[in-house]
Amino acid sequence: MLINYQTGTFFDEMIQSNGQPKNHYQWFYQLVEEFSEQELKEKHETAQLNFLRQGITFTVYNHTGGTERTMPFDFVPIIIPEEQWNKVEKGIKQRMEALNLFLEDIYHDQEIVEAGIIPRDLIENNPYYYHKQVGGVKIPLNNHIFLAGVDLIRDEHGDYRVLEDNLRNPSGMSYVFQNRYVMRQVYPELFYQHSIESLEHQLSELHNAVTSHVPLNADPDKKPTAVLLTPGMYNSAYYDHVFLAQQMGIELVEGRDLIVKDDVVYMKTIRGLKRVDIIYRRIDDDFLDPEAFRPDSALGVAGLLSAYKKGNVSILNGIGNGVADDKAMYVYVPEMIRFYLDEEPILPNVETYFLSDPEKLDYVLDHLDELVVKNVGASGGYDMLIGPQSTEEERVEFRRKIIEKPSQYIAQPTIKLSRAPAYQDGRFYPCHVDLRVFVMNGRYTNVLPGGLSRVALKEGSLVVNSSQGGGGKDTWILTEGGQSNA
Amino acid sequence: MLSRLADSLYWMSRNIERAENNSRVLSGHLIHMVEVSDEGIADRDWGEILEICASKADYDQLYNRIDREAIIQYLMMSPLNINSSMNCMLYARENAKATRDIIPDDLWEVLNHFHLSQKDWQELPNTRQHTQEYLKEVIKTSMTAQGVIESTMSRGIPYTFIKVGKWLERAEKTARVLNVVCEKNRREAPHKTSNYYYWLKALHFLNGYDGYIKEHPPSMESKHVLNFMIKESTFPRSIRYCIDHVSDAIQNLESGKVSHYSEDLFQMLELVKEEIEQTSIEQMDMEELMKFLDHFQDRCQTVSRMFSETYYLIEPVHVR
Repeated sequence: MLINYQTGTFFDEMIQSNGQPKNHYQWFYQLVEEFSEQELKEKHETAQLNFLRQGITFTVYNHTGGTERTMPFDFVPIIIPEEQWNKVEKGIKQRMEALNLFLEDIYHDQEIVEAGIIPRDLIENNPYYYHKQVGGVKIPLNNHIFLAGVDLIRDEHGDYRVLEDNLRNPSGMSYVFQNRYVMRQVYPELFYQHSIESLEHQLSELHNAVTSHVPLNADPDKKPTAVLLTPGMYNSAYYDHVFLAQQMGIELVEGRDLIVKDDVVYMKTIRGLKRVDIIYRRIDDDFLDPEAFRPDSALGVAGLLSAYKKGNVSILNGIGNGVADDKAMYVYVPEMIRFYLDEEPILPNVETYFLSDPEKLDYVLDHLDELVVKNVGASGGYDMLIGPQSTEEERVEFRRKIIEKPSQYIAQPTIKLSRAPAYQDGRFYPCHVDLRVFVMNGRYTNVLPGGLSRVALKEGSLVVNSSQGGGGKDTWILTEGGQSNA
Repeated sequence: MLSRLADSLYWMSRNIERAENNSRVLSGHLIHMVEVSDEGIADRDWGEILEICASKADYDQLYNRIDREAIIQYLMMSPLNINSSMNCMLYARENAKATRDIIPDDLWEVLNHFHLSQKDWQELPNTRQHTQEYLKEVIKTSMTAQGVIESTMSRGIPYTFIKVGKWLERAEKTARVLNVVCEKNRREAPHKTSNYYYWLKALHFLNGYDGYIKEHPPSMESKHVLNFMIKESTFPRSIRYCIDHVSDAIQNLESGKVSHYSEDLFQMLELVKEEIEQTSIEQMDMEELMKFLDHFQDRCQTVSRMFSETYYLIEPVHVR
């Protein structure tokens, strides 16, 4: 299967440096060995077509308009032994707890600022800090983060590190389920004799998490009505919205389906207006309500914020979460864990330099070819410089941008992202991977076992984002110890 | 159910039905046209096809003369014609995409499959054979979609909106086709043979030949054909069948009760049913029949509008 496969200086998920598969991949390796080249090719094609046929696509926008594309799927799964996963899960829960306490704190008493741990400027100058709109508002369960998608990477030693927290509108959960579904359809052989954590109950977990956020003034005798608010079918993550709404059995609504009357939110149905209690929104804060945020937003609902503040409707994720997951605040998450929980972080960050610090700025400008530079406000792999892979012109361009507005950028050492084999175009080759772990918080916290493994299918590329040629893999958490005959 | 979704289902269904009907008309005409040799008649025939499948006025604005290849393209794949088969299928898919969380996955896949193959069709050379294959594909897609709807959807609200859309679209198209043929008949009445041929063609356009011939073998009387396509209560493409079913479906939706908001709609449907009932085709001349068919098409639009208003499918005008 893996002739000429080189692990190089990277940590490989599957293969040891001597070319042999790791213990927890042994049985997978043996099963794949039994496929003929022809079978591998056919299965690969069947899998890709499956996504297209079902219309599991995202929309990419460029100068010529939008095109629907599928996320390429790679069948070599990321397999994680139970023990290792348990540690990840613990680390993520710890991080969520601290981040949620942080959000509750900075929209109320701001103890962490008073204690001098996070500079006041950093919070107040943050464009996603909506104190004016939601400061002091009491929300159900005091929970700001209903769903997070935490991006993890593994460094050259195989240690997991958190790269991003994604506390606003993390997308991609539908892919986790579809990847598994397609895997089971196309590669049933792989599932016969092994125990893998099932995803079956995860959507009811998600539904429970949604409906546990009952607003203060909801009718206690009725089951709350929850909806998923989407920007519409032209949004790049529309499939994600469709899938989640469908699977949870809640209505998928657009802004124009909702109306606020006397601070109560209703949806427009064929039988007239129906009260809405909980909104799982997939619209960014500044588009939610033209009266409170951007007046030009046509996606949102006028008066929504006021209904929220009165306790007549819950909005998930909470408004104003962006202050906690931006690339600058990220640096302080370990401090938050120490401050609020009095614990040491279980999952470390990636080392990060603030460019507003003149000393660091000089260092970074001198080492642009070794570092990764990111815009603190951007996501999706945009406005980012990967030093070792950049051209001279790109570095000149970034130097100019950084000097112009240093506080807008952070820099990180180029981590040797772990790699795993990918099978494309009839051969196996190593590709960089990361892992987005989905965390649901309601009355309790539930971490979806596994998550979305994203893979940079372009050889040598470090960018895993689907908008830039990244693909997806299934992620298996082994149960029963996960040894070769598990 | 959200009004927006109900509206999308209604239009998804109308567009599927429209694509199928228009494709059948064009396909049928391409087959039968072979038998017409007179240039003048051929041009007039094409004008009628445009009148049935789209709007001749819209076509005339874009092209300055009747050109066979231009019309075929216009009806089949032109992005400029909102009623081209391609556009109808595109709208149907967009509507299905907006309602993916309530329609069966299989229905979405059927429409999506057509969409994915659309590009390949566009790249094929423009031959008669490809045209026919494409039109057949549209018809088959529509039929498969209906099969999925019938075999998998619960007989609830979403199903009702889909069916009402289909029946209204179908009833209106049946009236349109008959109208055009009546007009032709009136003009060319003396020739008995061409008469036969026109009604045969009408039945083919409306997919009613098989059903008709079982009832009336092997004659082709205009009054029989008209009776069959207007008043036959058991044939699923007749005007009466469609209107009866719209009426029953809405009765079901309202559990048999007439409320203040649905009163107008119920009254209108009763009126339309009565008008069909009381029309005596045997005693009408072509002129009167055309008037009736015209009037019925207006009624269809009124019913469609009232239906939309009753269920808030149309955004009410905001008064402040």
